[in-house]
Order: sequence, then C-alpha cells, then structure tokens
Amino acid sequence: MSDTMTRPKLRLDHVTKEFAAPRTGLRTVAVSDVSLEIQAGDFVCIVGPSGCGKTTVMNMIAGLDKPSSGTIEIDGAPITGPGADRGVMFQDYALFPWLTVRDNIGFGLRNGTPGRGMAANDVEERISKHIELVRLGGAETKYPHQISGGMRQRVALARLLANGPDVLLMDEPLGALDAQTRLILQAELLRIWGETAPREERKTAVFITHDIAEAVFLSDSVVVMSSHPGRIRAVLPIDLPRPRDEHVRAHPRFAQLSEEIWELIRDEAYRAIA
Amino acid sequence: MQRSIEIDSPLPVSPGNPARPTLAAKVAGYPAVLSGLVTLRSFAVFIAIWWAAAAWTHSPLQLPTPLSVLTALKSLAIDGEMLDNALTSFTRLAISMGIAVVVAVPLGFLMGLSERANAYIDPMVEVLRPISGIAWIPLALFIFGVGDVLPVFIMTYVACFPLLLNTIAGVRGTDRRLLAAARTMGVPQSRIVRHVVMPGALPTIMVGLRLAFAGAWSAIIAAELIGSPSGLGFAIEWYRQLLMSPKVFAYIIAIGAVGYSCDVALQALQRTLTPWARGTELA
Ligand SMILES: Nc1ncnc2c1ncn2[C@@H]1O[C@H](COP(=O)(O)OP(=O)(O)OP(=O)(O)O)[C@@H](O)[C@H]1O
Ligand SMILES: [Mg+2]
Repeated sequence: MSDTMTRPKLRLDHVTKEFAAPRTGLRTVAVSDVSLEIQAGDFVCIVGPSGCGKTTVMNMIAGLDKPSSGTIEIDGAPITGPGADRGVMFQDYALFPWLTVRDNIGFGLRNGTPGRGMAANDVEERISKHIELVRLGGAETKYPHQISGGMRQRVALARLLANGPDVLLMDEPLGALDAQTRLILQAELLRIWGETAPREERKTAVFITHDIAEAVFLSDSVVVMSSHPGRIRAVLPIDLPRPRDEHVRAHPRFAQLSEEIWELIRDEAYRAIA
Repeated sequence: MQRSIEIDSPLPVSPGNPARPTLAAKVAGYPAVLSGLVTLRSFAVFIAIWWAAAAWTHSPLQLPTPLSVLTALKSLAIDGEMLDNALTSFTRLAISMGIAVVVAVPLGFLMGLSERANAYIDPMVEVLRPISGIAWIPLALFIFGVGDVLPVFIMTYVACFPLLLNTIAGVRGTDRRLLAAARTMGVPQSRIVRHVVMPGALPTIMVGLRLAFAGAWSAIIAAELIGSPSGLGFAIEWYRQLLMSPKVFAYIIAIGAVGYSCDVALQALQRTLTPWARGTELA
C-alpha cells in the first residue's frame, strides 16, 4: 500500500485552542488536547453539548483560526489558512445580505476558485441544479431577509455543495429544518458525498450535529465531545451497511449505536439543564 | 470615529416630522390619507402661530406675514428668478457632492483597509475636521475671489468629512463572518474588496452621503452670502440689503424646500441601492 493510502486526509495532533478576552485577558480553553484522524472519504459526525468546542475545531480545520498549540494537517501538510479545498457551511449561514438566493449560491462559483476554468453557462447550470437540490426554485430572486430560517439554511447548504469542495465542513447544516425536509436532505447529502461511489471517489465530510439519530444515519464514525474543557470523549465507528436508506433506521444496530452515544453524553446533557 | 457610527440609523423618525410614517403607523397599516392629513394639520398650526406672531410684533421688516411671503414667493416663481438661483445653487451642490464622493470614498476605503495609510492620513483629518467650512471663507475669498469656485470649494470641504468617516466606519464594520466565508471559497483579496467590503460598507456610506449633503447645503448659504454673485444665499443677502423681508423669507423657504427634496431623493436612492439594509431588524 502506498503512503497516500494510509495517510489520513485530516490529522489533528494534540490541538488546544485558548481564547483570551480582549480587555481582561481572561483565558477560556475552548478545545483541549484534541487528537483525531479522518481518512479520505470518511463521513465523520461530531456531537457534544453546546459550547464544547465543535465550531472551534471546525474553524481551525477551515484555516480561519489557528490552534494555540498542536498541529492540524491536510494531506500531510500543515494548514496555514482557508482554501476552497475545504468548504464551510457556517452555523449562522453567513449569507451575503445584499445578494439574492441565486447569487448567494453562485458566489463561490462566480468569484472564487470553485468556478475557475468553468464556462459561464456551466456555472449558471450548476447553480440552478443546486437551487433545485435544496428545493428553492420559487425563492431564487429573494434576499436572505425575505426568506425563512429554514430556507436560509438550505441556501447556505446549496452554496457549499455548489462549490464542490473536497472536504465538506458543515456546522449543524440541517438544524433549522422541519423533520421531513431534514430526512430528505440527509439522503441527498449522502448521495452528494458519494455513498454509492467507490471509496476513493468520495469526499471527506465533517458534520456537526446535535441529533444523535442523524449522526448515526450519516456517519462512518461519530466523535463525541465533552465540555469544560472541550475534549474528545470517544470516537465510535458506525458499522451500518452502506448505501443507507430509510430502512437502516429500523436496524437493531441503529438503536444500539444511538443508545451508546446517548449514554456518553447523557450525564453532561442532564448537568447542563440542571 | 465613534460618533459617525452612532448616526448609522437607517431611517431617522423625528417627532417633529410626521410626514414620514412612524413604526406604529406602519404596523397598524395606517392609511396614507390620514398621515397626509396629519402633515397638513401640523403645517396649519405652524402657519397659525406665524400669523399670530406677525400680527403681534407688527413689524413687517422683522417678521412679514405669511400672506406677504406667499405673494413674494409667487412673483419670484413666476418671473423665474427663484428657479435660476435655485438651479445655480443646486448645480454647485451637485458638483461638490460629486467631487466629495470621488475624493472621500476611495480615501475612506484606503484608510479603512490599510492601517498604514490610516496612520498617515488620520492625524490630518482629525486636525481639519473640527474647523468649520465657514472658517475658510475669508481665505477662500483671497484665493478664488467671488464666483462659482468658492462655494463649491467650501461645500466640498464640508461634505468630505462625514463621507470619509462613514466610509472608514463602513469598511471596518464589514461582517467578519462574511469575509471568512469568502475566504473559504478561495475568493482573491481584490474580489473580496469589490464583492464583500463594498456592498457591506454601502449602507454606512449612504448615511454619510446624507450627512454630507446636509452639511454642504447648510454651508452653501453662508458661502454664497459672502462669496458669490448668484445663488440662493446671494439672493437672501441681496433682498436683505433692499430691506425686502418677504423675499428674504421666500428664499429661506426655497432653501428648505430644495434641501428637503434632495434628502427625499437621497433616501429613495438609499432604498434602491441598499434594499437589504431596511426592515431587517425585526426579522
Ligand atoms: N472568539 C471567541 N472568543 C472567546 N471565546 C470563544 C470564542 N469562540 C468560542 N469561544 C468559546 O469557546 C467555547 C467553545 O465554543 P464553540 O463555538 O466551539 O462551541 P460549540 O461546540 O460550537 O457550541 P454550539 O453547539 O452551541 O454551537 C465556548 O465556551 C465559547 O464561549
Ligand atoms: Mg457551534
């Protein structure tokens, strides 16, 4: 086996992130000593209580934030900044308020690396395809403030997918959607990620969620984090068969894995609301 | 710097100006007719007070009656003199605003984007800014003499500061998340400035434009009063020397009317250029 086969796509090595409050200098340890390897073609979900550092980890992988100590590598090279190889869907969507739904979705294709070398009508076609994918056909010309929260989330998702990055970094991408849309988009997401394709053609996905069933349904492995400070509590491989469809939810193993994850975060979840 | 950001309220609703629908009026779907009546009523009250005051002082030179002013207004309007003067002043205003935009907006981008440029230029701006445009009139008289250049110079000077400060504030206030999003899509720096920073700063720049306009329009009168042989300010001074108070008042009304119309036009421009920047607060 060659080196590229064994080398992980993403590698976090003893990563710690501290934030210092600007005036008081008070330090918060957001993430402490996180080590994690994600193989190319893996779909990894991160679950954990609010404030445990999920977004912080994602920002560091995206290159938007630097670890205070430790290293993060992509394909064996340290991450020095953001790049279009790692697409991000932000927790608060980060849509451009002055652009319509269509122009938001096309922003990266028209202005960034993803659309480089593409003919203009191919770009437009790709945008249209992704508008349809998230079922926003009627809202194309609306501005973000004119659409609902769930629609905004779908715009952000479509923008990420339209850019077609190698690594998909998604921060609670389906959290604001109704249950049905959510299930439909979970399946779509698996398709786009490359579930039916051979492993080496799949993208690498890091997906943050609060929904345990969603994590089990989507992932190859689930990273469970705990807070104060943010650490990795456990990494559970999800050994359910692929490709997955609705039936997998009825699989006895599905319930078993969900239960295991719930066990791991139960204490902290109860403590958080106590 | 702080101050220019505070003014950044998209639609000031002043209690003295019921012409603009208040929030409550919008929510209740207040009929436009009714709000028009409210405007009329406040005009009527104003004119009644004016009339009473004029009758009481009984000094046509200091306070002419509304009727005499209306007559003066009519005659000035009919012979076209008022329109000529208004056009002269308005043209100067437009030229000054144009120059101010061309100078202050790019400078503001430079200062907002580059700490180094800011460190060079900001001290100069801070020294000049508190000096009123009017303070330059005597010097400008020596340099430019009486004519078109002086009022344009004064107005440009006055208009530059609010535009500059608001541009800087707008550029610096660009949403960091949007910058981050653009960077994760591999958008080059120049395109980020063009497609993220520029639209992001535009609402604040538009507020600066309105402030600049208000300042410039106040300054033009002083500049024309002293340094120009034409325009609305000059006309006021002219009729003052002739002791023709009703005409002086008529021109004061014209100044108010032109100023108000320009602001309405600017607000409309603001709405068309930055449609996303209103009505979003409650969303
Ligand atoms: N820029 C920052 N400055 C200071 N502290 C920060 C900053 N960003 C995050 N933190 C802190 O780091 C910790 C982790 O935050 P993070 O946003 O990563 O949590 P999260 O797991 O994404 O939570 P949620 O599920 O609510 O989104 C929190 O305690 C937060 O207060
Ligand atoms: Mg988060």
